[in-house]
Formats: sequence, structure tokens, C-alpha cells
Amino acid sequence: MRFIISLALKNLSRYKRRTIITAVAIAVGLMMYIVVDSILLGAEFESMRNLRWYETASARIMHPDYWEDRLMRPLDISIEDPYTIVDSLRKEGIAAAPRTMFSADLILYSEDFGEDGHMPVQVTAVDPELDNSVFRFEDTLIEGRFVESGTNELVIGSWFAEDIGAKVGYWVTLVTRGNGGFYEAMDMQIVGIVNCPNPNVNRTLLMVPIDTIGDYLAMEGAATEINITLPESAKIAEEVARIQQLLDPNGNNLLVVSWDDLARDYVALAEAKRGGTGMILFLVFIIAAVGISNTMLMAIYERIRELGMMRALGMNDRSIQLAFMVEAGGIGLIGSTIGVLLGIAINFYMVNVGIDFGLLMRDMDMGYRIQSSFRGTWNPSTIITAFFFGSILSMLVAWIPTRRALKMDIPSCLRHQ
Amino acid sequence: MIQVQNVIRNYKTGETVVKALKGVSLDIGDGEFLSIAGPSGSGKTTLLNLIGCIDALDGGEITIEGQPVSGMDKKAKTEFRRNNLGFIFQTYNLIPVLSAFENVSFVLSILNIPEKEIEERTMRILKEVGLEGMENRRPDRLSGGQQQRIAIARALVKNPKIVLADEPTANLDSKTGEEILKLMKEMNRKYHTTFIFSTHDSMVMDYAKRLVLLHDGQIVSDERR
Repeated sequence: MRFIISLALKNLSRYKRRTIITAVAIAVGLMMYIVVDSILLGAEFESMRNLRWYETASARIMHPDYWEDRLMRPLDISIEDPYTIVDSLRKEGIAAAPRTMFSADLILYSEDFGEDGHMPVQVTAVDPELDNSVFRFEDTLIEGRFVESGTNELVIGSWFAEDIGAKVGYWVTLVTRGNGGFYEAMDMQIVGIVNCPNPNVNRTLLMVPIDTIGDYLAMEGAATEINITLPESAKIAEEVARIQQLLDPNGNNLLVVSWDDLARDYVALAEAKRGGTGMILFLVFIIAAVGISNTMLMAIYERIRELGMMRALGMNDRSIQLAFMVEAGGIGLIGSTIGVLLGIAINFYMVNVGIDFGLLMRDMDMGYRIQSSFRGTWNPSTIITAFFFGSILSMLVAWIPTRRALKMDIPSCLRHQ
Repeated sequence: MIQVQNVIRNYKTGETVVKALKGVSLDIGDGEFLSIAGPSGSGKTTLLNLIGCIDALDGGEITIEGQPVSGMDKKAKTEFRRNNLGFIFQTYNLIPVLSAFENVSFVLSILNIPEKEIEERTMRILKEVGLEGMENRRPDRLSGGQQQRIAIARALVKNPKIVLADEPTANLDSKTGEEILKLMKEMNRKYHTTFIFSTHDSMVMDYAKRLVLLHDGQIVSDERR
């Protein structure tokens, strides 16, 4: 065994160029694997976090019929007394806030916007006192202030503001149908602009006080939904079931829906992307494997006579096989070590700085709920897997050509040029 | 000691069957210094390979030390070669990454001999073949003659009963070739090891104590000197 290891190490150091080229191929493959995995995992993690922080919360309570017709935003299917539920949830240590969602026509005036115009929008009516205990918009204000209760104030997403040329202090009118079908027009002043890390929200957000909207739309204290935030470590399914149990005895006939059901489209997209990612990573490995395989094939091919001599002198096939596999494993080990170190170094940058895709994300919806910087994340299992996979794969790909060479008869090996 | 009985070996090249050995029979005694000579294609290397258990015969039988080696399976042949045979090749076939010492000692390593004994035996044989002081040199730092000396040391270090040498001087100039032959003869005399070598060089034939001439796969003369 000592001889086999010594022979392998000597071959590694003697054929320096071959060792370096193959090790570099492995290193690049593994580094790419670590970094790509980190970016994609980081993007997914951040997307899901931004979904919960700005779009869906951890879970949502609503009327079962509203859940069915949610795309229509029906105001008549609502939660009648949302604050009683919010209070009872708060007593259980669960932060909750009511919201009312409705569709409207946004009317812009030439005095402020340079020309008259209108467009369909989705409006979110929030309780200014409670909403920031569930969502995190307060931290995203870049101009002005948040809406106050009982006022005709409006907060807008920065990209939306940019698109329509809105500024703090401008007036707009929201025209919609109230609870019962009557038409209502509400004059609102923009008091704040938020730059939300979730691009979907930043493109469309219009936020108004829920009590003002309740009066205009005859909601009589009702809200269309109650949003709930749960700790990051909470098991969502279990918590949702627990909240559902808290609601049921009161005869509320309400449904609790977890964030991943609310963002079913995104979750499905993320799963599809994960499949695509797996394919990319598989291809990276195939490239590395072909590189190693080719190098080992050449290494074995040029040493067939040496192999024949060893066999003639009585070295058994298993020992010869082991010698070549140790050599290939050595290359794999060098490549894996370099690849993992490089991967960690680049990932350190990716985790702390990331890559700014802001310009791309501004006008393109890639499905990710990330506005600008894609940051990586640390995934120790990927790093460990990459290290062992690189080393073991190298040994495995050496096994096949060695086996083939050992099937040749000894005189043919000795005659080999 | 070695009995070659009516050995037949055929090779297929495409559709053609080449009869390399056509029923060769030969008895070789202990400590012989025997040359198998003949022109190219006469079958001398084939005969050497069959005695060396690195090729399979198509007919006949070879017995070494009473053991019918031709019937052995691959594993048994490997073990037999490891314990009983030494090889010297025309192109030396040394491992380029190993020093002279390591090239010789590795045949003892695979016999699981203790390290201390490996070192003693290797140093002793290297001294005997005239390579004292060169044990740390790699083959590429040695002349052809010196490389063949390493090959002889490698063949003899495990005290084999038989050493098989396929055209051992073919890659050497005549002076160096003669030196190698003298060394082989000396080792034959000193250790009473049987040397069987193939050649088509008349100078090499002159050194043999017994000359077997092959032609077209058959023995045409067997002369003892």
C-alpha cells in the first residue's frame, strides 16, 4: 500500500502539467457548482423572505368564498369584525393586521403629472398602526412619510412613482365601486414613496389608510383579509393549523391560508427553477467528469507498457487498479481543495456584496422577488458534497480506462508504443 | 526443471491464423544459461512469454518445478510469476518516476517483505550490478547500460529460480551489450539462477552455454556448449 501511494504521489508530481490542468478543470467545475448553488439558493431564500415581508405575510385569514374569488377582489365577502380576531391573535402572541384589497381606476391630473390620464390599479388599504407589525414597509420609505389613519393619504412604490412621474405632494383620484356596487371617487395625496425590495410590490404598490377607505366604500368596519406574521423559525403548516383551530370555535367560518399557498405560482416557479438548476449543476459535473476521464484515459494509455511490466512482475490487477485510482483521487483531491477554497472565497463576496441585477430587474420580471442585488448564501452541505464528489468522481472515472487496460493481455501491453 | 511439451501457439490477425509455435518441446535444467535464437518471427519471444506465464498456449503443456503452469488461472499465474520469475525487457521498462532503488525494491514490496530486509537486499544487488552510489538517480539520469543493470537487479533481487530476458542487449551498443551479458553470466554462476534469453545477435549467442535455434515456430537445433 505504501508503494502504491508513493507511486501515485510521484506520478502526480512528475506529470505536473497534466496534474495542474486536470485539477484546474475540477476546481473550476466545483467552484462554479458552489457559487451557482449559493446564488440560486440565496435568490430563492431572499425571494421567499421578500414575499412574506412585503406581499403575503406568513399566513392570511379570509373568508373561504373570498379565497375562491380572490382575483375579483369582492368587497362584499369580507371579515366582519377583523379587530376582534386581531386582538385575540395578539393575545396568543401572534402579530396580525387587517387589510382591504380592491381594484380601482387611478386618475392623474395635468396640474401635477403634466397631462391627464388614468389606469387600472390594485389598492391596498392598511391599518397604519398595525400593518408595520406584520409587514416591513416602514423601513423602505425613501421619501415623505407613511399614511396616517383617517386621512386621504397614499403611499406609492418607487418604480410605480417613476413610471407615472409621481412625487410626494401630488394629488390623484381613485375611482372604484363600493360595498354594494355604488361608484365612489376618492381624492388622495401622495405622502410617501417606498422603495420595496420586492419588485412586484414596487411596481404596483398603492397604499391607503383602511379606516378612510372603509368609510368611502361602506365596509362598516370589515376588512377583506387579516395578515399574520410568524417567526422565521416557525413551522408554518403547524401554526396555520393552530390558528385555524383558534378561529373555528367562534363560528367565524374563516380560512387560514399559508404564504406558500398564497404564492402558489411563485412556489411552482421556484420548484421548476430548482429542476433547471439541478440540470445546470449536473452539466457542470459532466464537463468536469469528461475532463478528468479524458486526462486519466491519456495517462493510462501512455503508461500501458509500464502497466504490462508491473503485471509481468507479479503485481496483481487490484493493486494496479488501486495505484491508478489513488493517482486520480490525488488529482481530484487537489482540484477539489482548490475548487472549494475558490468557491468559498467567491461566495464570501457573493454573500456580503452580491451581484447587482437592478437594471435588469427594473424592466423584466424573472419571477424572483428581488429588486437589485442577488446575494449568495452559505450552504455547507453543498461545499462538503462538492469536495467529496470531486475526489470520488476522479477515482471512479479512472476505474473504467484502467479496467480496460487490464483486460489487454500482457504481451500486448509490453509491445504497446 | 522446465518442461516444454509439444507447445502450440497460434495468433489471429484478421482472418489469417499465424502459427507462431508448431509443437515445440524442450527441457531446461536448473542453472542453465540458455539462449533462444532465431530470425524475426521465428517464435522466440512467444516461447519466452509462454514459459514466463504471460501468454496462453493453444496446445501442449509447460511444467515448471513440477507445476503445470499452462493450466493455471490468471490469479495463480500472477502469484507464480511474483514468487518464481524475473524478467528483463529489451526496453528496460523501468518506472520513470521512481529512483533506481525504488525500481528494484518495489518487486520486494509486493512480496510483503519487511522494510529493513528490502533495503538491505536492494542495496546489495545494486552494488553487485555496479550501481552503487546511483541508487537515488531516476532512469532518465542514467545511460541505457545502467538502466539495463537496474532491470537485471530488479529481476534478481527476489532470488527467482528463473530469469527470462527478451533481447536484453538489443537496445545497447556492442560494448555495453557485452558488459550486460558478462553481468548476467556472473549472476547465473553466482546464484545458480536459470537464465533464458532470446536474441538474434551472434555475439549474444556466443555467450550462451546452450543455444536453441528456432525457425518458423519449430526448434531446428539445440546445442550445448
